[in-house]
Amino acid sequence: MRKTLIRLAAPVVLAGLIGAACTTADDEPDATDAVEESTDEPADEPADEPADEPADEPAEEPADESADEPADEEPADEEPVEEVQSGESLLDTVIANDSVRCGTRDALPGFAVLTEDGDHVGFDADFCRVIAAAVLGDATKVDFIDLETPDRFTALQSGEVDVLVRNTTWTASRDGGEGATFLQPNFYDGQGMMVSADSGFAALTDMDGVIVCVAQGTTTEGNAAAEANRLGLNWEIRAFEDVELIQQAFEAGQCDGWSSDRSQLTGLRSEFPAGPDALTILPETFSKEPLAPAVSDGDTQWAQAVNWAVLATIQAEEFGITSENVGDFADTTDITIQRFLGLEIAGDDGAAVLDPGLGLPTDFGFQVVSQVGNYGEIFDAHLAPLGLERGVNSLWTDGGLLYAPPYR
Amino acid sequence: MTTAGARVPLWRDVRVLQWIIQLVVVAAAVLLVFWLYGNYTENSERLNIPTSFDFLDNPTSFEITGNDLSQNAPVRDAYYEGLLNTLRVSVAGIVAATVLGTIIGIGRLSQNWLVRKMATVYVEAVRNVPLVLFLIAGFLAIVLGVFPQIADAWEPLGLAVISNRGIAIPWYDGAGYGLLVIGLIAAVVAWAVSRWRQVLFARTGATPRTGLWAGGAFLAVVLIGWFGLGYAWSIPEIDGRLTTGGIRIDPSFFALFFALVIYTASHIAEIVRGSIQAVPKGQGEAASALALSGFQRMWYVVLPQAFRIAIPPIGNQYLNLIKNSSLGAGIGYYDLTLVTQTTVGNGSPAVPAFGITLAVYVTISLVTSLFVNIANRRFKLVER
Repeated sequence: MRKTLIRLAAPVVLAGLIGAACTTADDEPDATDAVEESTDEPADEPADEPADEPADEPAEEPADESADEPADEEPADEEPVEEVQSGESLLDTVIANDSVRCGTRDALPGFAVLTEDGDHVGFDADFCRVIAAAVLGDATKVDFIDLETPDRFTALQSGEVDVLVRNTTWTASRDGGEGATFLQPNFYDGQGMMVSADSGFAALTDMDGVIVCVAQGTTTEGNAAAEANRLGLNWEIRAFEDVELIQQAFEAGQCDGWSSDRSQLTGLRSEFPAGPDALTILPETFSKEPLAPAVSDGDTQWAQAVNWAVLATIQAEEFGITSENVGDFADTTDITIQRFLGLEIAGDDGAAVLDPGLGLPTDFGFQVVSQVGNYGEIFDAHLAPLGLERGVNSLWTDGGLLYAPPYR
Repeated sequence: MTTAGARVPLWRDVRVLQWIIQLVVVAAAVLLVFWLYGNYTENSERLNIPTSFDFLDNPTSFEITGNDLSQNAPVRDAYYEGLLNTLRVSVAGIVAATVLGTIIGIGRLSQNWLVRKMATVYVEAVRNVPLVLFLIAGFLAIVLGVFPQIADAWEPLGLAVISNRGIAIPWYDGAGYGLLVIGLIAAVVAWAVSRWRQVLFARTGATPRTGLWAGGAFLAVVLIGWFGLGYAWSIPEIDGRLTTGGIRIDPSFFALFFALVIYTASHIAEIVRGSIQAVPKGQGEAASALALSGFQRMWYVVLPQAFRIAIPPIGNQYLNLIKNSSLGAGIGYYDLTLVTQTTVGNGSPAVPAFGITLAVYVTISLVTSLFVNIANRRFKLVER
């Protein structure tokens, strides 16, 4: 008798556990939503929210608890969750979490390097801070998440990161197939080829019957193959999971060429163990690599917020506003700068501040510039020391590609 | 508790309750899967990610090392190449690991103190180190550390070219799978000859020497085929920074093969040792009493019985080896896993792409265990 009881009890307990797992999974969104709403209320929406949700919630909860059959419970529970999710932008979640989860990398000199103190330093890392400064008003509120190249889109799709600022090239199939929305490129790059200085290669066409090493899962792999076909050269392409291995293979003489974005090559060359002079970057650039921040598809509000945060750095440089002189613009009379910095603009019926309705604080331009800096400052701090020229990454007024739409 | 004859109400009938509970568990499992699938399709739709398998017809846009697949070939061809590469390293690894593992396993039971201790040290040291370390060691220490650069490659006897860009060995010069077909025909002929010798032995008592006869027949058929079809050797040569001629074993293949064999052999060695010790001692003693030599005792009496015991656990090791071959992705071996990762990195949707890979690995594993089960059924003791 006792044995049968135990035998009976085991599946019951199992079923109970599964049931418990299911119901907690269903309940959790409610709990977090409730928290989010409560944190939202004082900050943003004073009038709207409370009327909607709390009215529903208490009415349902007691009904749920007394209900016996789980089948009845689920549909009733899920409805409100769906509504909230479809209407809610990641922007609200980021504000509620008070932190931007930024997908980046840990060992690319100039762009993002994890220092011994646990800080992320570099061009991409600073653009993560730009987004935090714009959305949350505090550039330090960034949660850096280091991602390997093959995992980056999965992390974005699954919501592990809010935004990807990770040397990612904007291409059509990534736009379409990876569920990513690419925004204003923060660096216009192109693929180049690095060879060892004593190899005797002076141009791509010298390289016939060679092994070219690249990083896995990048556009680089395909570009190199396409370029070899175009030039009628025989390149054997080897792909490695991480940059460390490529470097080892290159040093051991397994690779004749090391192909990647020119900016990356410049960064890697500057840190090469045998010194930068041991390596030469060939003059040809054989692809377009617009490196752009990316967010998940289907969330226009968050995409716009990130986009305008990036654009603010370009706009600030165009205005000549830097992190040092931004204070001096407090009493400017230039209306375009007043709008950009969120200053009060005197009008006929009193002063007003421009709020374009992006969901960002009106002074986000000021926060970005004062806490991180304008585009030129970020470039000069991280990329210029590697020996990179501004080139196409100059303002349009200087003949470059950087052009911000008017802020008004 | 219940008195005999009294009807148990349905809700207290153990049989009914057991059925109900099992049905509930199954229903919960099915619902969970549906719920997860629903989540996946809904989220994919929201993110505008395709959930169909149409991506298989898109061009790959990348090239596979050591293969002339063009980057305009469809993704399904790349999958096919990845599968072939997985099978190549798995089959080669399984054969080599079985041989090495058996030798070391026997070595652990050797009468010779040095051999015994060396085998023990090997097993204990290798078995307790993660496989990835051997993979990294194989690549960094051996391929990049020991092998020379192409400019001063080793050329033993002028037949092979060994450098850190690969090991080029002589290979036959001919179209496609001709040699494989010849080999298969030769194997069938060799099998027929050995059967004939056994039948002859049973009838006349003449020494069968099946191994010698079968080997000779195999060689004869291969040679006839070789010259009949006009095949020639192709000897590898250094040509600039690459090699031409022969066949080149990719350095990442070498490193992966090395790691898989070293690691799996240590596990197989333990299985072999255990299985030999599980053969009753009297069997070996009886063989000695019949004046069989040490080798004969092992080969004809002990090992056949030991392998009967060893087949199921060794089959598990084969499955492990096949699955572990996916680690080669890290050092750039284009197996199924790396092809999937690369195609996902180039715009193929992750869930269908990895779904295919998952299904293929499951299929390979199930087929392998099918063969292991067939072998097990064939060799197990028939009890009457």
